[in-house]
Amino acid sequence: MTAVISNWSHDNQERAKRIIASYPEKRSALMPLLYIASLEHAYVSDDAMREVAELTGITPVQVQSVASFYTMFKRGGVGDYLVSVCTSISCYLGGADDVLAAVESSIGDVAGEAAAERPITVEHVECIGACGGAPAVQVNYELIEGVTPEKAVALIKWLTATRPEVILTDEMQQLFGGRRSFEWGSTDSEGAVRPIPAFGPYGSVGGGSVGGGSAGR
Amino acid sequence: MAEHGTVSIIINGVEHDVPEGERLITAAERVGEYIPRFCHHDKLAPVGKCRMCLVEVEGPRGSALTTSCTVPVTDGMVVHTETDVVKKAQEGILEFLLLNHPLDCSVCDKGGECPLQDQALAFGAGESRFIEEKRTFTKPIPVSELVLLDRERCVVCDRCVRVADDIAGDPLLEFIDRGSYVQINTFPNEPFSSYFSGNTVQVCPVGALTSVDYRFKARPWDLESVRSVSLVDSVQSSVDVHTSRGKILRVYGAENDAVNEGWLSDKDRFIFSAFRSPDRITTPLVRDGDGFKETSWSEAVELVAMRLGGHVGTEVGAIGGANGTNEEAFALAKFMRTVVGSPHIDAQLGDGLDPHLASSITARGTISDLDAASTILVWGPDLKETLPVLYLRVRKAVRNGAALVVVSPYSTGLDSIATHSLRYRAGSGPEILRKLAHGDAGYEAVTETLANGPVVALVGRSSITENPMLAEAVAAFARSLPHAKLLPLLTRANVFGALDMGLAPTLLPGRVSTGDAAGVSLLEDSWGPLPESAGKDTMAMLEALIDRDLVAVILAGADPIRDCPDPAVAESALDAAEFVVAFDAFMTDSTRKAHVVLPAALWGEVDGTVTNLEGRVQRLRRSVQPRGMSISVSAALDDIARAMGAELGAADWQLINKEIAAVAPAYAGMTADYLTFEAGEEGAVVPIPGATQPLGHIPVEVNVPVVTGRFTLHLAPALYDAGVLVRNSHMLEGFADPGVVRMHPRDAASLAVADGDLIDAEGVGLPVKIDPEVPERSVVITRNLDTTRGIAASADIRVETVRGEP
Amino acid sequence: MSWFADLLGPFRGFAVTLRQVTRPRVTIKYPDEKRVKPDRFHGRHVLNRNLDGTEKCIGCELCAGVCPAKCIYVRGADNPPDNPVSEGERYGFVYEINMLRCIFCALCVEACPTEAITMTHLFEMSTTNRDDAIYTKDDLLVEPDGTPNHPQPDSKLIDLNELKIGDGWMRATSPSGRAAYAGVVQWTPSARTGALPAERGQSGQVNDEDSGEETDG
Repeated sequence: MTAVISNWSHDNQERAKRIIASYPEKRSALMPLLYIASLEHAYVSDDAMREVAELTGITPVQVQSVASFYTMFKRGGVGDYLVSVCTSISCYLGGADDVLAAVESSIGDVAGEAAAERPITVEHVECIGACGGAPAVQVNYELIEGVTPEKAVALIKWLTATRPEVILTDEMQQLFGGRRSFEWGSTDSEGAVRPIPAFGPYGSVGGGSVGGGSAGR
Repeated sequence: MAEHGTVSIIINGVEHDVPEGERLITAAERVGEYIPRFCHHDKLAPVGKCRMCLVEVEGPRGSALTTSCTVPVTDGMVVHTETDVVKKAQEGILEFLLLNHPLDCSVCDKGGECPLQDQALAFGAGESRFIEEKRTFTKPIPVSELVLLDRERCVVCDRCVRVADDIAGDPLLEFIDRGSYVQINTFPNEPFSSYFSGNTVQVCPVGALTSVDYRFKARPWDLESVRSVSLVDSVQSSVDVHTSRGKILRVYGAENDAVNEGWLSDKDRFIFSAFRSPDRITTPLVRDGDGFKETSWSEAVELVAMRLGGHVGTEVGAIGGANGTNEEAFALAKFMRTVVGSPHIDAQLGDGLDPHLASSITARGTISDLDAASTILVWGPDLKETLPVLYLRVRKAVRNGAALVVVSPYSTGLDSIATHSLRYRAGSGPEILRKLAHGDAGYEAVTETLANGPVVALVGRSSITENPMLAEAVAAFARSLPHAKLLPLLTRANVFGALDMGLAPTLLPGRVSTGDAAGVSLLEDSWGPLPESAGKDTMAMLEALIDRDLVAVILAGADPIRDCPDPAVAESALDAAEFVVAFDAFMTDSTRKAHVVLPAALWGEVDGTVTNLEGRVQRLRRSVQPRGMSISVSAALDDIARAMGAELGAADWQLINKEIAAVAPAYAGMTADYLTFEAGEEGAVVPIPGATQPLGHIPVEVNVPVVTGRFTLHLAPALYDAGVLVRNSHMLEGFADPGVVRMHPRDAASLAVADGDLIDAEGVGLPVKIDPEVPERSVVITRNLDTTRGIAASADIRVETVRGEP
Repeated sequence: MSWFADLLGPFRGFAVTLRQVTRPRVTIKYPDEKRVKPDRFHGRHVLNRNLDGTEKCIGCELCAGVCPAKCIYVRGADNPPDNPVSEGERYGFVYEINMLRCIFCALCVEACPTEAITMTHLFEMSTTNRDDAIYTKDDLLVEPDGTPNHPQPDSKLIDLNELKIGDGWMRATSPSGRAAYAGVVQWTPSARTGALPAERGQSGQVNDEDSGEETDG
């Protein structure tokens, strides 16, 4: 097998080693390693899949098979902002199709202006668990509830104009959201920086506590 | 109450006893209830992917639809396969499977033999409710150089993925994406380059995977199928040869659980493309100055008879005969020993084993013994490169829990699944054998594994550079292991058959030693007096040709210049010979030095029997007419014998076959009729009940010298080398490696060479490849490539850095 | 009595002749004059072309497979993508019919999935050489402008216009699996105009305007 010269950061390489060590079989580390690959390049590139294959001792096509099965592992270029419009039943009944169409058409304009950078990527997703506040939209996996087509267009304009470094759900909810399904009770001050699922300190991936027996937490 | 080992199940109201633990779909088929299926395959693990085999099984909470391919039968199981519920499920599944399936049956290679077509007709609703446009893909795309993929035809049954992963061990095909976007594909720039890629074409239940060569060549209804044997290596896989209008169009693996279980290597499957090569010799040729001129058979036969008859018998030798049938080999042995009167015959070219060891080893095992083995010892050539189908069988045994010990001077295809993989410096095999036999420090784990019987030992020569006596010593060691069975490994197609027919200086037909007085006199009763002097083997014959002790030689499909350990000796021997007659289908380095070249028929073109490495005899059937004026070696020898005033009785293969059964003790009763009417398609291992084997070779511990030197050589065999059939096959030529000298990083450093630098290996210039898998102070060169064929197989090799030119 | 009857014999004979004189003649001056054949007459085959001039035959060999006389020999080949001979991936590279063996049953016409082979009203195919009775693709295929070919085009017996008349045939199978189609008479769109649309009657209606009502008049 040809050795891949790793282009991952030192931290991520170390993290990958710790993750692999925490499983009885190297192959089991596939999913968390793909997550690290996403952290590294914002999406899972062909090279990243080769690297994960090397690390787990399977072939690249087997990695690709898993990576392509899960839609949240992005395999193509994703812009700075990933706008996910839910089109499952509650949101659909609440008019999600109109929201999606509005977002897509305004992105079309934006893309026309700044096609070179393409900062915003739009996708439609299945249920994101915000049925009470339908229709719901996520930006970099940070939630906004009760979005209307007009507000969605405003959201896209705002993203294009201000280019926020960190996406804060509370801020967006206030600016573009409608009725909240319930009082969330906590304020999100960390937000998301890149279009990677913001799971926070995910036991075996995020923190440095891996290997100390807390992998299962 | 069912018998022991069986359970009683009720299918459609009828009670049946079926083997315990069998999958429901197989059990139902056994008792005559066919359940439709796509993903189910007898030789593959169950996955339950296609859902076509849904049946109703009654349970405590009423009957429910269950995939019959994943459910083992249990006692008292009540199954319904033809209820309305099942019918509705089958129709629904087929409607789904056809959702994206294109309607291009009329151009599809599978059309006419397609399970999807057949089952859509038998179990489908006949009409689809889907009016949406079908999914389309670019088609076809090559997944390898031999296999094409039409993704839109795929029904996502997982068979090819399982063949690639579970059977071949090359998981290079996988599902990509999901839902209605799912497709089979390879990773970008990583083609499905497996030695077993053709098997996916055969198992694909639709026309998604097709062979590059067969594509659009014919439709199934104009094919004729002939059950035969693949004469590519000594495993002799069973095949179905499909022909149309006198041409072989494709070769499929045939189910023979004793040998290949339906699998084939790509070499078995595609080598037939060499048979229609424009470079085939189709007429007899006689030397005319520097070249050859075409002649008629009668003139060629007269000439050969005159020239051979003009010499004392013992001045004539014969080399080869290991690529044809047993009948051809027997005819050559009889021709040499009776008509010519020479004992100098050898089917091996100095690249094999002691004929007694190879043909008559005691405690000889069979291929299916591997299935029951607890431990498998492989000490011989790299199975993946030389006997790929046997490699699959070893892989299967290991997957089912057998421990595997591989001993080799270089990495082999089995290393990745081996329990212990021992590497030794080429030439130092005896050392490691001693350590193993004595259980030296560091080898306890291995000896412990080997002590766990039953053991099956596959013993051969790891390369042509290895001392052949090492195999004898290894066999003696392996025989001492608990419940040991041995399989001698020689690779040439029918070499075991040729040895059994007496094509060896020390053997007579039917596994009789030339030293066995009783055996000799028995044969003399029917053949007349045999030559008394001792026979020479190939290398001795070549030396004798140089020394003028021999003056004429017959080459029967042999190319000593390519295949014997010392090409230079072979070349000067053939130059020195007064008369060389060659039977061959292609011009080779050796036939170019012949005085008469007679066109020989190849394996699709002759009838007969063949013997594989376990001693199993199978019927080789003719599927097409020989090309041009080619005829079998035996028929040609019969003519030559008659022109020399003798009767060989070899005009027809059946005559020879009957004579073999009459005069060869180990083959007593082994007639074509026995094979057809008694043994069946699996063939039979000789000696069959009623026959005896006079020679039982007991391997002895011999002292094999360790080769030392600055560098020792391992001439590694490769599946795709520049062998005569591969280089004439338009399908397989070009797959061979370019040829490199592999050496350990430290050795490369000591010679001050880097990857790609040119190096002088025994006078042949080759680029260096640094490879930590090579033991130190040893070099590995792939054997018989266009670039490496001049290298003599001396164990000690001179390797020098090339100075000056870049 | 009987001698009188014998005397009348010749007159009775002439009465037959005289009666026929007034009836219309059935004899025609073949080959100067030709009879109009029944609509479903099975004459010689032609191989048709698509509107764009490509061949209709895709080399599927179904005609050869179904032929009860085994008189058709077809071999397919890969269609060159840059200059396709037919639509799709495969085309009929060899197409031969041995007219000495053909029984003119038209099963090939019915089996053909693309209506590439159809039958016409020409039956004059006599030759003085067995080899000439094997019609090759050159003889069978119509020209792109719809002109049919014949091995003896100048023969007095042959009226090439008869090769432009398609025959009618009765369906034993039904398109789209509808039993209602069994027995419906179809009209083969043979080379009347040289280039014809695909088979009719696939729309699902039995009596739509193209399915069986139209004849050659």
